[in-house]
Amino acid sequence: MSEQLGATHGDFAKLLEAHGVRFLEASPSPSLSAGGAHGTTVIAVKFDKGVLNVADRRATAGNAIFYEEAEKILKLDDETLIAIAGSYAAAFEAVRFLQHSLKYYARSQLQEMSLEGKLSEVSRVLSRALPGALQGIGGFLPIVSAYDRTKNEGRIFFYDVLGARFESREFGAAGSGAERIRGSFEYIVRTKGPFHTMTLEEALHETLLLLEIAASLDTATGGIRHSLPLAKTVTAEGIADVPQEMLRSIQKAVLNE
Amino acid sequence: MAFTPYDWQQTLRQKADYVEDRLREGSPVVGLSCHEGIVLVTVRRAQQQKIFEIYDRLAFAGLGNQSDVETIRQIAVDFAHAEGFARSPQDVSIQRVVGVALSPAMKRSFSDPLRLPLVVRGLFAQLGDAPESDLFYLLNYDGEFSLAHRCGVAAGTEGAREAMERVLVAFAQKTPKRDAALKKALEAWAVGRREALAATESDWHAVLSEALETGTVEAALLERDSRRERRLRFLSPEELKPCLPD
Repeated sequence: MSEQLGATHGDFAKLLEAHGVRFLEASPSPSLSAGGAHGTTVIAVKFDKGVLNVADRRATAGNAIFYEEAEKILKLDDETLIAIAGSYAAAFEAVRFLQHSLKYYARSQLQEMSLEGKLSEVSRVLSRALPGALQGIGGFLPIVSAYDRTKNEGRIFFYDVLGARFESREFGAAGSGAERIRGSFEYIVRTKGPFHTMTLEEALHETLLLLEIAASLDTATGGIRHSLPLAKTVTAEGIADVPQEMLRSIQKAVLNE
Repeated sequence: MAFTPYDWQQTLRQKADYVEDRLREGSPVVGLSCHEGIVLVTVRRAQQQKIFEIYDRLAFAGLGNQSDVETIRQIAVDFAHAEGFARSPQDVSIQRVVGVALSPAMKRSFSDPLRLPLVVRGLFAQLGDAPESDLFYLLNYDGEFSLAHRCGVAAGTEGAREAMERVLVAFAQKTPKRDAALKKALEAWAVGRREALAATESDWHAVLSEALETGTVEAALLERDSRRERRLRFLSPEELKPCLPD
C-alpha cells in the first residue's frame, strides 16, 4: 500500500502523470488555430498597501467578440494573484493546474510553498505550454502579483512565453492592448510619482484610464465603458475584490474627464 | 508454505490483536459540527501533528503509528488532488476518499498474511454548507469504515468510542458555537482517554489536566464562512485558553 508513498515529493505534475491525467498538451491539429478565445489587456501596479490588478472583460476569437464577462484575474492562493492574457483555454488550464499544485504541495508536504517556488512553478507551466504557443494556439502571458511577507511589500512578476521571469518595480501589463499603452506607465511614474506611493483610489484611477486608452487603440480590449472591469488587490490582509461602489465611482470619473 | 483456513483466521486475529494493543494508548481524536464549521480536537504528547487538511473541505485526524498515519494521509491527499483536477473540486467527497481510495487498499493490506498491519484508526471530516450536512467517516485499520453526522470520534478502544459518542451525540444536535463545541470535544476526549486506559480517576477534568501536563491541545476549525482558499485553520493558544481547564 505504501509503495507510491512520497514518490511525488509534493510535485503535482508527477502525481497527475502517475494517475494518467493529461494536461496542457498541445493539439497536433493546426486547424484549431482558427478557433479559441483570447483575453487581452491586464494591468498590475503597486500601490501603498500592495498590488492592484485590473483587467478588461472582453475575450475575442479572431475579429469576433466572443465574450464580454471574461475573468482574467484569478487567485492562485490566498496571497497570490495571476492575471492572464492570450489563449484563454491554455491559460485557464494552467491556472487550474497551478491552483491545485500549490494546495497539493502545502497539504502533502505540510509547509507552504515559498514565493520563489510558486514563481518557478509558473515558469514550468509556461514551458509545458510552449508547444501549443509555437503552434499559435496555446500561448499566454501571465502577470503574477504577490504580497511578500518577508519584505512587507507587494511584488509584480511578468514572464515571456518561454517561461523566463522578470520582476517589475512598479507595474506590469500584458496582452495586445498593453503594447499600445506601455509608454504611458513610464510617463505616469515620471510625472506623478511611483505607483507604490499612490493610494488605492489613485492607482485605480490611473489604471482605469490606461485601460480605456488601450480600448481606444486595440479592438480586442473591452475598456471600461460598457462593462465594469475586474479589479482585485493583494495586500498583507490577503486578496480582495475592489468594492463595486469605488469601481463605479472611479469609472464614472474617468469617463467624464 | 501452504496456508490452511485455520492459519488464515489465526493470522487475522493475531494481526487485529497486534493493532488493538497498540491503539489502546493512542490519543483519541474528536470531530464536532458547530455553527462556524467543524472543530477537530485532540491532545498530542509529542510534536507530531495529528490533524491534517486533505482537500478544500476535507480534513483528517488519526491515532496510531505516525508512519502509518502519514501513509493514510498521503494517499488521501494524492487521490483528492488528482481527482479534483481531473474532474472538479466539487467531485471530491469524503465518501470517495475513504470508500474508494483507502478502504479497499487497507482491506487488501490487512488480509495479506505476509504484510505488517497498519496501526492506524482515522477520522475524516467533510464540511457541508450547513451543520446538518457535515459528514464524518471513521476508518479502521482493517479497511472497515462507518458514517456519522454532526460528530465523529476515533479512539483507542470500542468502549472508549462509545463513551465519547454518549457525550457528544445529543449535544451536537443543538449546533453549538465554536467555543462550546471545543469544550465539549475536550470533555469527550478526556472521557475516551479515561475509558481506554481504564483509569481510576472519575473526574474527566482531572484526566484532561493530567494529560495537559505532558501534552498540548491540537485543535483546528474547518471554517464554513471563509474567504480563504484553504479552510482548515489551527486555533491559536489565545483562542484555546478559554476552553481549557484552569
